[in-house]
Amino acid sequence: MFGYVRPPVGILPQEETERFRRMYCGLCHTLALRYGAPARYILNYDFTYLAILLTKGEARERSGRCPASPLRQRSYLETDEALALAADESVILAYWQLQDGVADHGALRGLKYRGGCAMLSKAYRKAAAARPAFDESTRRQLRLLAELEDQRCPSMDRAADAFATLLGGAAGEVDDPIRRRVVEQVLYHLGRWVYLVDAADDLKKDAASGNYNPVALRFGLTDGHWTAESRGEFAATLDHSVHMMATAFELWDFGVWTPILQETFYTGLFHVGKAVLDGTFHTLPSVKQRKKCKNGEETA
Amino acid sequence: MNDPYQVLGVPETATDEEIKRAYRELARKYHPDNYHDNPLADLAQEKMKEINAAYEEVTKSRSGGGNRTGGAGGGYGGYPGGGAYQSYGRQSSSSVLQQVRLAINTGDLSRAEALLANYSDHSAEWNFLRGAVCYRRGWMDEAKRYYQTACQMEPSSAEYRQALEFMERGTQTAYRPGESPFGTEVCGGNPCLTMCCLYSLCNGGYCFFC
Repeated sequence: MFGYVRPPVGILPQEETERFRRMYCGLCHTLALRYGAPARYILNYDFTYLAILLTKGEARERSGRCPASPLRQRSYLETDEALALAADESVILAYWQLQDGVADHGALRGLKYRGGCAMLSKAYRKAAAARPAFDESTRRQLRLLAELEDQRCPSMDRAADAFATLLGGAAGEVDDPIRRRVVEQVLYHLGRWVYLVDAADDLKKDAASGNYNPVALRFGLTDGHWTAESRGEFAATLDHSVHMMATAFELWDFGVWTPILQETFYTGLFHVGKAVLDGTFHTLPSVKQRKKCKNGEETA
Repeated sequence: MNDPYQVLGVPETATDEEIKRAYRELARKYHPDNYHDNPLADLAQEKMKEINAAYEEVTKSRSGGGNRTGGAGGGYGGYPGGGAYQSYGRQSSSSVLQQVRLAINTGDLSRAEALLANYSDHSAEWNFLRGAVCYRRGWMDEAKRYYQTACQMEPSSAEYRQALEFMERGTQTAYRPGESPFGTEVCGGNPCLTMCCLYSLCNGGYCFFC
């Protein structure tokens, strides 16, 4: 489910990309600090966004070496309350995501998920003890999602709601009531968007395997191909969610994180959505394109 | 109250024209149309009030000072303090549906849902209000389908038609900074935006997380 929310690197100025990286590295260090080195493996951009939405400002910076950068010291954000919260919630989400993988796959193909669960189980117990409410709501929502999938629920909104509510729950520990409403709304629609984009991405695969796919059921797509009309309707429903994220985002001052979030909500998500609909999301850009992107960044 | 210049996001040295531009941009962002049926509309309304007050204060102090000419007036003229952000004020055909409208307006969606669930006459208005509850919950697709049913049952109702048009038009009129369009199907679709970031954050991929 994770991996669709990404920083729009080609558009963001170098300074902002660096800021994002400092948070990414900060979360990685926090995970290692609280849960030991193996927990670093769960790090992804989605959890980095979670940390950005939960943080109250830019935490203090430190620099140091790490397994990914053993020679050169790199700056990263020091663990603070918000990063700790994001790390705890990330562990809980990653653990249940892996459990889901165990349930979905057979003995052999589920092996890597089983291995992941075993590796994370100690970390998970600690995280669940630290954030019992979030763990409880995550479990409840995933149970609900599994039930809906079993029943082959034809309403894509209902199925997406189970995941969206789960992610929205990550705002539960935000102190300020207004900020909590804003972050919850952003996360709810981010969750809805991610769930729907993921389902759209799996259209062909699910059509071949016969697995449950709420988007295929909603639009009656049996062969994994969009019709022009259904594609337009689906894009519109995604856009409504992005609009909800953007309008919520504008109601709170996210300080130094504003440019990154702004580009994500007004540009980045659209590009990912379009790539998924076009079927080009998993196509690696050519070496030339990559070079161009990299050079663009360096000169930016 | 906060410093009005800070609210408008301009320095005190800004020209009248710059202030007007900043105000217009903010007014576009927090405009009731941009928060149509939004569960956070109350916060947008507060924001709008603050911006209007700040703009008024700045223009008043500038025209009073007499140092500047040209005047910064002629903005959006301020939005009234209520009504504009809420759209369920119409008189209902039944007292239960009237209560549903009230519950939606106060943000009590669970109550609205419970009332609708116990109401057996699935009239056009019932479908419309179901749609409104769905929209506020973030169930955009279902909302549209209920609005469609409402419109089919009562095509003459401007209220239902407006709601459906809003869903169908999508987010074409949504605010976004700058002039570029808002939407998945209308964005440029640069392939580098999706995959290149995998290569860039860790400087060429020697990080095993990427």
